[in-house]
Amino acid sequence: MSATPPRAPAAAPKDVEARQPAPTPVAFPPAALKDECEAILSRYPTRQAALIPILLLAQGHYDNWVSPEVEAGVAEYIGVSDSHVRGVLSFYSMFNLKPAGKHEVWVCRTLTCWLRGAAKLRDTALEKAQAERAGVVGEDGKFLVKNMECLGLCEVAPAVFVDGVAHTNVTNEKLVELMDACE
Amino acid sequence: MAKKRYPETKILSKNFDKENSWTFDVARENGAYTMFEKALKEMTPDQVIEEVKTSRLRGRGGAGFPTGVKWSFVPKDVDKPKYLALNADESEPGTFKDRWLMELDPHMVLEGCLICAYATGLSTIYIYVRGEYPLSQERLWGAIREAEEKGFLGENIQGSGFSCNAYVHTGAGAYICGEETGLLESLEGKRGHPRIKPPFPAVEGAFGCPTVINNVETLAHVPWIIEHGGEAFAKQGIAPDPDNPRSNGSTGTKLFGVSGDIKTPGCWEFEFGITVKELLYDYAGGPLDGREIKAVIPGGLSMPVLTADELDVPMGFDDLVKVGSGLGTACAIVMDDTCCMVEASENIAHFFADESCGQCTPCREGCHWMEKIFKKFNANQGTRSDLDLLEGLFVNIEGRTICALADAAVWPLRSIIRKFRHEFVAKMTPEEQAAEKEAQAEKARETAGVS
Repeated sequence: MSATPPRAPAAAPKDVEARQPAPTPVAFPPAALKDECEAILSRYPTRQAALIPILLLAQGHYDNWVSPEVEAGVAEYIGVSDSHVRGVLSFYSMFNLKPAGKHEVWVCRTLTCWLRGAAKLRDTALEKAQAERAGVVGEDGKFLVKNMECLGLCEVAPAVFVDGVAHTNVTNEKLVELMDACE
Repeated sequence: MAKKRYPETKILSKNFDKENSWTFDVARENGAYTMFEKALKEMTPDQVIEEVKTSRLRGRGGAGFPTGVKWSFVPKDVDKPKYLALNADESEPGTFKDRWLMELDPHMVLEGCLICAYATGLSTIYIYVRGEYPLSQERLWGAIREAEEKGFLGENIQGSGFSCNAYVHTGAGAYICGEETGLLESLEGKRGHPRIKPPFPAVEGAFGCPTVINNVETLAHVPWIIEHGGEAFAKQGIAPDPDNPRSNGSTGTKLFGVSGDIKTPGCWEFEFGITVKELLYDYAGGPLDGREIKAVIPGGLSMPVLTADELDVPMGFDDLVKVGSGLGTACAIVMDDTCCMVEASENIAHFFADESCGQCTPCREGCHWMEKIFKKFNANQGTRSDLDLLEGLFVNIEGRTICALADAAVWPLRSIIRKFRHEFVAKMTPEEQAAEKEAQAEKARETAGVS
């Protein structure tokens, strides 16, 4: 019988080193949002119900994205877990979980807009943004182009939003103009 | 003599072209809140519900459930608060009618909500507006503030002892939140995963309390019903089928929209009964110059397609079901002869794959499978067995999930591959195309032999 070779210590799971330390929550709400956050909370019987409107506010306040620190701050304020907030953030298409560039362009891709030439608009937007694909910020960090599902502007398709403002019957030229006008 | 155009009937849209139609003063001049006052002062809540039942008003969000019946499910004597969740998450592709109502006549929407609140004895209204409708949100908030100032919202409204508050709740981009229980989950600050029913929302909805969920357009009809009576409403449109005791007909008026490959897209109001063809040709201007209409989805994206030969059918709940489609949101999407149906299928499948909430496996996995198969066809790599695989997928997706999103994905796609099979065959590999040709010839020989 041969002696069992000494067992090598178990290797640490691969992702352990990569795991980030828990984010330090931001102090939420910042003074500029305090009144509005409280007004939102007062509308609902539970604090959790205010989560989505407050996250939208927070995203608008912190450079159009929700960082892990903001996420943790909001979670603490509302009284839910960080993971609940992350679950909500990742479910809805209007939230950005990564730095979002200076300007956000939504191009509707659903059937009506697609019939009216939206695919070409998206290509133009991506080219202007120097981004390899939708959902990724371009090289110069200026634009985030997002493929959106039906924006409800079908009678005036194709539709594009630039920084939350709707533009309708958009042609290639108009889109270039709109994006050029962004500083 | 030229054929007479199907007439417009402007009830919901009566204020659409008035200047500043969304302000209290203009709305009030045109009668806003008078029917809420009438209900408050002259009618009991039960009388209001009876009137709405008599009208046979059916939900305008797509499902077509009778509104009065829905209201009567709300328990009367409970200790819990009750809520109205107005479904303004209009995310159905091709659909924009609720946006017009909210932007152009928010006071009519609010008045409908208030009458519903009075009838069902609830005191909090949440208007769930999708995040992509910033102007609707702004106009509704404006209407709420004005109504509060004028004493139509808040404590002890018009000295009646009835109190009610209204709030706009903002969504953040998810089609599934238009599903009523997905909407409730989202309203509670969660991912919009639809719930298993029962319990139905009327008994246990938002925050575990009885909740009425109605579409914007549905409630906008209510003031007119109070003014003219349920019977007058029931006389408009298409009466119930006398041979079918379960038929509710399609009564009243409806906002009909058209978008896609069409000359003048838009939204018009008619009594039910206008045919798809009349809507497309007499109002939406017909196909673009030099083109021909190929296919139409009569209501949003989620209904089976009609081919150009099938358009002579009234836009009604039962009538469209009879021809194998459905009314949905009554906002038609038109595809013309420049549209490749295989590419359109990929676009449609992508929408549902993207918007599936991920709870149920048949939908979460199935929608992506379908999209992948359509991608394969669009790379001219399709096979006959892929079409069989799709048919198998349809069977394994439809009716096997918590909510109707999966059915909504199957219906248009199944009808497209059945009605436009030749376009799919044209995108098969050459060998498969030959095999399909052979099979068709064989089938023809058999048929000839039999007869």
